[in-house]
Amino acid sequence: MSYRQDLPPAGGFESVKYKRNLPLRGPGALVILGGVSAVCAFGFWRIGSGNVERRELKRETTWARIHLVPLLLAEGDRAAYREGLRVAAIEAEIMRDVKGWVPRQDVYNNPRYRSPDGL
Amino acid sequence: MSTTTEQQAAAPPQEIPKVAELGTTSGPLKSAAFFIGAYCKEYNEDFMLCKAESRDPGHCLKEGRRVTRCATDLITKMRENCLAQFEAHWGCLEQNNQQYYRCRTQERPLNTCMFEKLGLVKVIPGTPEGQKQIHEIENTTLKRQQK
Repeated sequence: MSYRQDLPPAGGFESVKYKRNLPLRGPGALVILGGVSAVCAFGFWRIGSGNVERRELKRETTWARIHLVPLLLAEGDRAAYREGLRVAAIEAEIMRDVKGWVPRQDVYNNPRYRSPDGL
Repeated sequence: MSTTTEQQAAAPPQEIPKVAELGTTSGPLKSAAFFIGAYCKEYNEDFMLCKAESRDPGHCLKEGRRVTRCATDLITKMRENCLAQFEAHWGCLEQNNQQYYRCRTQERPLNTCMFEKLGLVKVIPGTPEGQKQIHEIENTTLKRQQK
């Protein structure tokens, strides 16, 4: 009976791999923190400058309206004045039999003007 | 009440001079607003001071007529001198929800034309000291989203 002894392979075993072998894990913590901070800072700066601009745009539209107010108000005043005369004439016609009736007389004893829709 | 009386009463009395209403719609008015403000400053301020005295519509008719005549005058001059730029700008405003910041490309030629021909400058009161006015900034943070 012949025996065959179990022996290492020819040339011996290869050396044990004991050195650390870690794959690349991306940028370090400080780099990520710094990068995120930079992106956030840029974003907030954009928001800030956008807010400043929005404020300016709002003032621009406000002043555009302010410049137009006299024009629109003048036109509305003429219409309201004509309407007042028309209403007064109708009222005088209706109330012609009532003695001492003043058409469109204010209900308050005060010269301050009140618009009719406020009453 | 007969209809004839109503119609007679609706006509304004003779002693009030007639003035043609401006009849300009909101787009052109918004386009011309700052020039109206610059050109008709005296009349506008006079009218508003009069309105501060009394809110009665009959109180400031004379001043109001001056305001309207001045605005009509300005719109006529604008149309005579800068018609193409004016129409381009208010057309753009009508297409863009009447927002100035979306129509800067049309606004700049109009502003230069108005300055060269009529000497009117768009000035927004209250701009912070040493800062460019919003309509003069070329590269703004807020832009129109659709190109």
